[in-house]
Amino acid sequence: MGIIGLGPHGERAAPPERVVLLPNDIAMARRKKFRVAIIMHTLESDWSKQLVTGIIGTLGDAGAIVVEVVDCSFSAEAQIHALKRIRLMQLDCVISLPITSEAVADAHRMIAESGTRLVLVDNVPSGLLPSKDYASFVSADNYGLGMMAAEMLSEHIPQNGSIALLGYDKEFFATNEREISFSRWISTNRPDITTNIYHFNSIRTVGQLAKDLLTKPYCPSGMFVVWDTPCVEVLKVMNQIDNHVPITTIDLGSEVASSLAQNGPIKGISAQRPFQQGESIGKTTVTDLLGRKCPDWVALPGLAVRQSNVAESYQAIWRMPAPRAILDGLAPRKNNLNSEI
Amino acid sequence: MSQNQTNQQRQRGRPKLNETAATSVAELLGFVRKHQALTRLELEKISGFGRAVVADRLALLSELGLAHENETGISGGGRVPRMVSFSKNRAVLVVASIDQSSISVALSDLTGKLTAQHHEPGDLGLDPSDGADRMITLIRLMLSRQTKLPELWGISISVPGPIGPSENGSPLTSTPDFLPGWNESKLVERLIAEFSVPIWLMPSVNTMTVGELHGGTSENNDCMLFIKTGKRFTAGLVYEGRPYKGATGAVGLIGQLPATHEGILGTLDSLAGAEFIEQAALREARNGTSEQLTDLLNRGGELTLNEICQAAQLGDTVCVSIITASGKLVGTALATLLNMLNPKCVILAGALAQTNDIFLAAVREAVYGASHPLVTRDLQILQSQLGNTAGLLGSAHICLNALFEPKMLRGWVMMGTPLMHPDIISIMQPKIVSEGLV
Repeated sequence: MGIIGLGPHGERAAPPERVVLLPNDIAMARRKKFRVAIIMHTLESDWSKQLVTGIIGTLGDAGAIVVEVVDCSFSAEAQIHALKRIRLMQLDCVISLPITSEAVADAHRMIAESGTRLVLVDNVPSGLLPSKDYASFVSADNYGLGMMAAEMLSEHIPQNGSIALLGYDKEFFATNEREISFSRWISTNRPDITTNIYHFNSIRTVGQLAKDLLTKPYCPSGMFVVWDTPCVEVLKVMNQIDNHVPITTIDLGSEVASSLAQNGPIKGISAQRPFQQGESIGKTTVTDLLGRKCPDWVALPGLAVRQSNVAESYQAIWRMPAPRAILDGLAPRKNNLNSEI
Repeated sequence: MSQNQTNQQRQRGRPKLNETAATSVAELLGFVRKHQALTRLELEKISGFGRAVVADRLALLSELGLAHENETGISGGGRVPRMVSFSKNRAVLVVASIDQSSISVALSDLTGKLTAQHHEPGDLGLDPSDGADRMITLIRLMLSRQTKLPELWGISISVPGPIGPSENGSPLTSTPDFLPGWNESKLVERLIAEFSVPIWLMPSVNTMTVGELHGGTSENNDCMLFIKTGKRFTAGLVYEGRPYKGATGAVGLIGQLPATHEGILGTLDSLAGAEFIEQAALREARNGTSEQLTDLLNRGGELTLNEICQAAQLGDTVCVSIITASGKLVGTALATLLNMLNPKCVILAGALAQTNDIFLAAVREAVYGASHPLVTRDLQILQSQLGNTAGLLGSAHICLNALFEPKMLRGWVMMGTPLMHPDIISIMQPKIVSEGLV
């Protein structure tokens, strides 16, 4: 699947193949011994861990040293503090996932103005421009991910049904794109379905929001949650009140993947490829540090994961065998298939 | 006779305070908004008004929510001064852009800074009413996402064609036919009916030029040539820091310049534009001269400008040669303009310029080969860094210039909102009622 969406400034996406490190590049980078810091919104999620692994490995291949990996715990203040501190270290490059668009903009601009190169992941703070303020922006095709999730959920929604879209209320490029494209796909392809949008401001509040929706008289026929961590909270609420409606989400975390495999409420997952994204970020960083221009936006296509391909998708995305919970969920289906034969 | 009656007698025949104060309030707000004065003392100096008048007008501006004095400055020897600031979040503007292949919507504060933006693919060749529907849906979405939404003061849209006499900066009451069929979409009428705010439409080359002037590589450049590439080529000229409009507003139709390619005489649009490039690539793909193009054709069924530019960037020699030929034609045409205008910098924007460096290199080569050395000695030829954001940024500034134009500002400043300006009210009311759009 190609890249469907446009970048934060309306850019056309460049595929990850556009940023390639040749043996000469790697040799040159090794001689320069670049020093890099990585600043993440969180290091708790599977996605973050895998992304950071991809970055660190690729930078390591090119002899670049990762001097610090910061976990900002979704706090804009923590990110601003980390950026101010790291600016004084006079590193070659900072790789950052900006937590919001507005609050952290000045802190990121200060990094750019200090001469340290900046590579952004998944979000671009307001007012920052490619080439001028940052070297490149690397993300998944979030617009495409939202469309995939809409298509997979629509298969489980009855005629004239309704969907509750649980979006994130922060101004954040990736989640905004998913929300907008999901709504667009439904209104274009299933105009009979009503999509109602609700926003949560933190993972702590999403459970209560889902509970309110699922216990009201006109319960939605399905739900879309913009990423997997809040989706896990929604799943907990569904189990608690014993009201399961079909859900789709983004990111193939272990818990949502298990629900998909075990024929739970999760009916489909639009998966990002965090390890490959991490590799692309690493290559983009080295390319820029060697003085070569990088594309303004490098985007990776998503992967539509259904029950039929959840195990192999898990392996492809996480680079490890699928956990027992997923394989056990799939096993009966295989037995049934054998007995039918 | 009571004190009240005495005062009324004294004031008889004199203009009311809100009539006389409007000029000074508007003038002071102008200084604050443009950062020309940051303290009461500076305002007194620059305006020539007395201390009492400045204090009174600032109190009024604060009451209207247009300025505030919350921060303190650095003392110059006496008391620490209070800094006067323009209340940039007093209201919000919606800015949007329709292009050949995309649609964009953003929110802007009252300084023209974009606080949220979204771009998505869209085909302008489809039914204009679908395009209008999508734009209205996106505007609703963007506004609904804001937890604290200030008052909406206007909607400004960048469109890919001329809009006729309305280019003088006035808000519109009906949808111009900027492309065939768009007046039937009733975009402007529907926006007025739904949002009850003034609507501006401007050709995209104008908005992008203004956008580059306010936030791009050539920020505050007083002599700049902006070239938009893609299906058609258009240009915007900034002269002495302001966009040059020409006698009838038809500046920059450079796509109509004559060009010759392999002995064929045509225009720049027909021999170097996106359609020509796509056709050339399609021929090469069918001939099998480029493995990559043939593969793209077999997989996707069509070849887009973006794919061709990407293939060129990845080293496909056929694509490199097609893009280079286009760049040289543009560069040759550009050299003529440069020899005449001698700008400080040229900004290349649009799909053709921003997806690859090969086009830029070819333009530079042709320009340097055909220009007088004095013209190119300090000339910068650059890619736009703003992308589609240029049109949004420009739309915001065009809208702000119209709202804060001195005469317009005097008409609404005492009410605190341009929506109460008599001209704005008269523009909106009859339209909403007569067309039954409510």
